[in-house]
Amino acid sequence: MLDTFEIVTASGIVLWSRTYVPVGAHVINSLIRDVFIEEHTLPQSEDSGSKPTYKKDGYTVKWTQAKDLGLVFVAVYQSLVHLTWIDKLLDNVRALFVGLYGEQLKTELSSVVNCDRFGSYFDRQMQELEGQSDSSAPGIKITTPDSSIDNDSAEESGPAAGLQKPPQRALFDTSADSTPVQTPDTSRPTTPASRILAGKARPAGARMSRRDRKKASGSPAPASSGDEASAKRKGKSAKKNRTWGELGAEEEDGDMVLDYSQSDIRGGAAEVEQLEEIHQDTWGRKTTRGEFVLKDLDEEMDAIIQEQNAKKDTAAAAAATAAAGGIVGSSLGAIGGYFRNVVGGKTLTKEDLAKSLKAMEEHLLRKNVAREAAVRLCESVERDLVGMKTPSFTTIESTLRTSMEKALTRILTPTSSLDLLREISTINSSRSRPYVLSIVGVNGVGKSTNLSKIAFFLLQNHHRVLIAAADTFRSGAVEQLRVHVRNLQELSKREGGSVDLFEKGYGKDAANIAADAVVYAEKHHFNVVLIDTAGRRHNDQRLMSSLEKFGKLANPDKILMVGEALVGTDSVAQARNFNASFGAGRKLDGFIISKTDTVGDMVGTLVSMVHATGIPVVFLGTGQHYSDLRNLNVGVITRLLMS
Amino acid sequence: MAWYDEDSWLTQALSPKLSTIVITLAIAIFLPILLHSFLYRKAASATGLPTFLLVGPSGGGKTAFTTLTERGTVPTTHPSTTPLSIEALLPDPHVPASSHYRSPGDPAFERSRRFIILDTPGHGKLRNYATSTLADPGNVRGIIFVVDAAAIDEEAGLNEAAEYLHDVLLSLQKRYTNATTSKGPKEIPVLIAANKMDLFTALPASSVKTKLEKAISEVRNNRAKALRDAGAALSGGDEVDEEKEWLGEGGEGSFEFDEMREIGTAVDIVGGNVCQGKNSGDVAGWWSWIGEHL
Ligand SMILES: Nc1nc2c(ncn2[C@@H]2O[C@H](COP(=O)(O)OP(=O)(O)OP(=O)(O)O)[C@@H](O)[C@H]2O)c(=O)[nH]1
Ligand SMILES: [Mg+2]
Repeated sequence: MLDTFEIVTASGIVLWSRTYVPVGAHVINSLIRDVFIEEHTLPQSEDSGSKPTYKKDGYTVKWTQAKDLGLVFVAVYQSLVHLTWIDKLLDNVRALFVGLYGEQLKTELSSVVNCDRFGSYFDRQMQELEGQSDSSAPGIKITTPDSSIDNDSAEESGPAAGLQKPPQRALFDTSADSTPVQTPDTSRPTTPASRILAGKARPAGARMSRRDRKKASGSPAPASSGDEASAKRKGKSAKKNRTWGELGAEEEDGDMVLDYSQSDIRGGAAEVEQLEEIHQDTWGRKTTRGEFVLKDLDEEMDAIIQEQNAKKDTAAAAAATAAAGGIVGSSLGAIGGYFRNVVGGKTLTKEDLAKSLKAMEEHLLRKNVAREAAVRLCESVERDLVGMKTPSFTTIESTLRTSMEKALTRILTPTSSLDLLREISTINSSRSRPYVLSIVGVNGVGKSTNLSKIAFFLLQNHHRVLIAAADTFRSGAVEQLRVHVRNLQELSKREGGSVDLFEKGYGKDAANIAADAVVYAEKHHFNVVLIDTAGRRHNDQRLMSSLEKFGKLANPDKILMVGEALVGTDSVAQARNFNASFGAGRKLDGFIISKTDTVGDMVGTLVSMVHATGIPVVFLGTGQHYSDLRNLNVGVITRLLMS
Repeated sequence: MAWYDEDSWLTQALSPKLSTIVITLAIAIFLPILLHSFLYRKAASATGLPTFLLVGPSGGGKTAFTTLTERGTVPTTHPSTTPLSIEALLPDPHVPASSHYRSPGDPAFERSRRFIILDTPGHGKLRNYATSTLADPGNVRGIIFVVDAAAIDEEAGLNEAAEYLHDVLLSLQKRYTNATTSKGPKEIPVLIAANKMDLFTALPASSVKTKLEKAISEVRNNRAKALRDAGAALSGGDEVDEEKEWLGEGGEGSFEFDEMREIGTAVDIVGGNVCQGKNSGDVAGWWSWIGEHL
């Protein structure tokens, strides 16, 4: 069973929702956080058939978007049940909602969408789709009219149903203002209420169908949409017979009215409304009225869905004709397209973007972004833009640029702030064990140098730092650190703080040395331990596997990985392998990107590493001196990348 | 048919015919009108109205407050991913300070009650929407920093809020100190809206204030000690004269919100709760603050 269905705007407001079984708000909250904001889990493209899914706390969440309106349609159900019709439901509900309320949604400076009535559309969709998946249900409906009323009718269908349905609804419907129709205490026919409903529904339906027809006649691809329409109608007529069978006389009237709504007379809406009043008086039968409203809904719903589909078809067909059409057609199309490209207001399709995206990808590659990251960034921007309208007086290129800038900023900005000094003071005040930071990375990227830079920074802030030489592998590593420590000790006379080296020579197990260093530091009142580790190729299985033991024994508060700004495509694999090497439950905490002063504006490595792992860049190494360590400045990096 | 023929379109277009004159007139009259409406339709509706900017950490209740002000009810909300601006009327008992002496029927009075609320996403990765507005405030009359008074009680929540508030105040200060006119730019007051007062764990407004002041002092100290950021080093600029900016005067000792008056920013703290269970709660204090600055 479906648990919850919500329609949420990009600004976080739930426009409409239906809850069958309450699901905590945290499920959709974390969907938005993980997928839309932090992009931990990348959804597969919508073209690949089924809708993207997200799993959380035993729930499966499926969603679809209406990009230009900034809407997300979310369906939540328990992962244990397998629902095949959710995709269809999402599609239909999106088409319906966009068709019905698209204009309201475009209102500037307002977030209000008056969609109380959407509940009945939604219920019809649910019944239809659930009915299709469960073949026994329709059979029952046909044989027993009572049950058919019970299943198909809206609230005002009659006393019997009125007693059953409304309480159920009151419980389920969570939308703040429910329509008056839904009050359960109706012992007699609720005709006035239904009149309101019908009176409103009718003109809307008439308008929709008119527009729909216009669309269909103007559409360059009538064949496909026509096919769909007729198929839909066939399905509809079967149902019509079923629901209307018991009241044959009304059926004719009903059809007459419906036909009337189809006719293309101006001001038809008003007249239809009038006609409704008369019918209302003469029939006055609640069942009839209920059924009438219902049928109206079905028609209207189909019309809207068709219209939305037709829109899509038109766009596709237009693209096709532009490609294959005659000289006149194509040149006119080209001029129009060019004009809209310059002036803006063009709805972007994959084809429009393809060329600019390719150029953007090349540009990113030139900035030393790894191919994989560049491709995925471009894909995410494409997902972001397809279906959007370009703003006035902006070209596709500049729209793409803005979108890419946004994507880069979002990726590079850390989720929470990275204040090393505060972390150290928080941890030191809460326990006697010193703050432990260790540094990993491949050979020759500058691990020891950057470790010394961090030590210098901590000395400036008067910390007592112990540096542990856990690189017991490469000859000369300990000596190198000893030189650094001697320099730092010299500097600490001026800067304050104190620093010492913990070493146990070569050949011993690094993890044990690190653990010993922490114990030693605690005994001698150092408040920070910095552990240097041996450089290792990220594809060297043997050395990488020892990192897990290291993580367990030394248990660092922070593990930073040093990556070179010069490295190209390899950066993605490096970041991934190191991130995975500490076993389950332990990850890298950040990157230090070294040698950024040598690459000019080709700072793509940052993006590659962060993109591959979702782990932020903490420091940048910008030179040879101890003071050449910098915090990340997202704005500057983005500017360099886009320049 | 050559262009100089009797009935070629070029000849017709230049001949003194009625149809030509009518068409030319029509183009001359309607083109500017069309252009005008095309360009200004969107811009015209939004300009001029005073704007209040909502900032604060995620989950504080910004979007909830926005909808409460707009429609009087609070729907369910989820984390925002885009900013949202809405036009609202100051709810009833509150009166804009600028029209205290106007009577309720007066159209000028009604007009003065209109304002825009600009809600921004509070998630760490999406604060650039808020910061870009802060850098160029335009019509912003005031900034409302919505914070969850229950989350303030915990270390992480307090630090996040303090850091964000520090950055907001710092950019207001930068705007003030960088101003070229001698008078200084228009003052932008800040309201710290301590939300979720209905919760059992929520701190009262006064202790929200002291806690935030303490945490901001700490942030300020740490920022002073922290590494410089990579901006100048990477863009090849000169790092030496790039001075770090402190919040408040001197940037020493403990921070107090009163220091901000120096730079034209008054900071008020008012408690409230946007919702009470499923119902709308009590935010009269915030609305009257908006009224005072309208
Ligand atoms: N108990 C209680 N809950 C509240 C109150 N105000 C808001 N909330 C809840 O807090 C949650 C977050 O509110 P939002 O308005 O979405 O938060 P936001 O500040 O817009 O968050 P972002 O958009 O992520 O920045 C929602 O579930 C609200 O229902 C309040 O006064 N009391
Ligand atoms: Mg929000």
